[in-house]
Amino acid sequence: MRRIFGLFLVAALALSAPALAKDPEKKFKTAEAKHFARAEGVELSPEFSDYLYAELRNELGKTKLFALVIGEGEVVEDADAPASIVIEGTITEYKKGSVVKDVLIGFSAGWRSLRVETKITRRSDHATLQTLQSHVRTSPRWNEKVMARTVAKQIAKEIKKSLTQSPNGS
Amino acid sequence: MHRKTSLLCCSCLVAVFFLWCTRAGAHDPKPTPENTIQIHLAEPVKPQPFPRPVKFFIGNVIDRSGNPQPLLVLKDRGGVFLDRQPTEIAREALMVSLHSADALATDQDSADLVVNIYLFKFGLAAGSGIDFFGKVEFTAVIKNPKTGESKEVKATGTSIAGRAVFKKNIQKNVQEDIGAALSDALRNFLRGTALRDAVAALTLPAAPSAAAASQPPPGFSPGLMRPRFR
Repeated sequence: MRRIFGLFLVAALALSAPALAKDPEKKFKTAEAKHFARAEGVELSPEFSDYLYAELRNELGKTKLFALVIGEGEVVEDADAPASIVIEGTITEYKKGSVVKDVLIGFSAGWRSLRVETKITRRSDHATLQTLQSHVRTSPRWNEKVMARTVAKQIAKEIKKSLTQSPNGS
Repeated sequence: MHRKTSLLCCSCLVAVFFLWCTRAGAHDPKPTPENTIQIHLAEPVKPQPFPRPVKFFIGNVIDRSGNPQPLLVLKDRGGVFLDRQPTEIAREALMVSLHSADALATDQDSADLVVNIYLFKFGLAAGSGIDFFGKVEFTAVIKNPKTGESKEVKATGTSIAGRAVFKKNIQKNVQEDIGAALSDALRNFLRGTALRDAVAALTLPAAPSAAAASQPPPGFSPGLMRPRFR
């Protein structure tokens, strides 16, 4: 009985070890997210930008790539600048969708659509590390903040993917 | 007869209106010890170091939110109230943070710079409905009392916290959310490049006055000044 228990314990430890090792170490010292600019013709409420900014910072914190996600315009130590990034973006396109189409047709017809271009630059030399394109669609019956939440999640996911894969991001 | 009917109708309408008003009033949450939260900084926000040590004095903290009920942060589920005015909370947090870095002046006369705060948002803002969106927004007017010059610095802090089902968890989440937003706003202010630039501009060494500049340096006499070429 004791032997079986011992074997079970060893097996449990062996299985949990890779899971513990998977936790990524902080690759960057700081990440500064900025309020996203809007291209001409994008009609969204002013609160949308604030909410997107807050959600993006929240989601960037969840990626565990950054030791600190700082606010817009905060000071970074010179020593930390080479391992710090700045995230800027532009909302390039917004289609407000149609509630009527959504109700009558369904199957995501008439959904809102948002396209965002995100640029990641290194703080020390302003070199562009990545440029990402994100596109999300949500129902026009939902609050527009839900769309901000969805796009923030997607941007954070893409940033994590690109920075962990690219050699420039180190 | 006609007059009696109209009088009856009017009194009915008044009664209905009165009932509606009392019912609407009954839905307004009232602050109790159970639904009141305290907002404090988890830890003081350390200000950025300045080239020359600067002492700040916190002058007035003025509420410019236009919110008729500044203590009420959440109306649903019996309401969630703050224990103090947002201006008091902001003042305390700012003073604690400055004190932690020995940058707080005890009085206005000994201060290098006086900071007046205009609070535009403190509490929860409209979110997606899936979470709580905490937001603290203020503008600080920093004034050099000696020269009378002033600069404006804007600061914003945001925080997102998850919703909850139980009332106790809702209060806990709201408390953490507003606390985090306050901390973020202070960090944005005290560690911001805007404050660094404002302090640098306001604490410049005094330039020589116009009269002093027009005076000739010692040992100079106008008679010695001759044109080089004739």
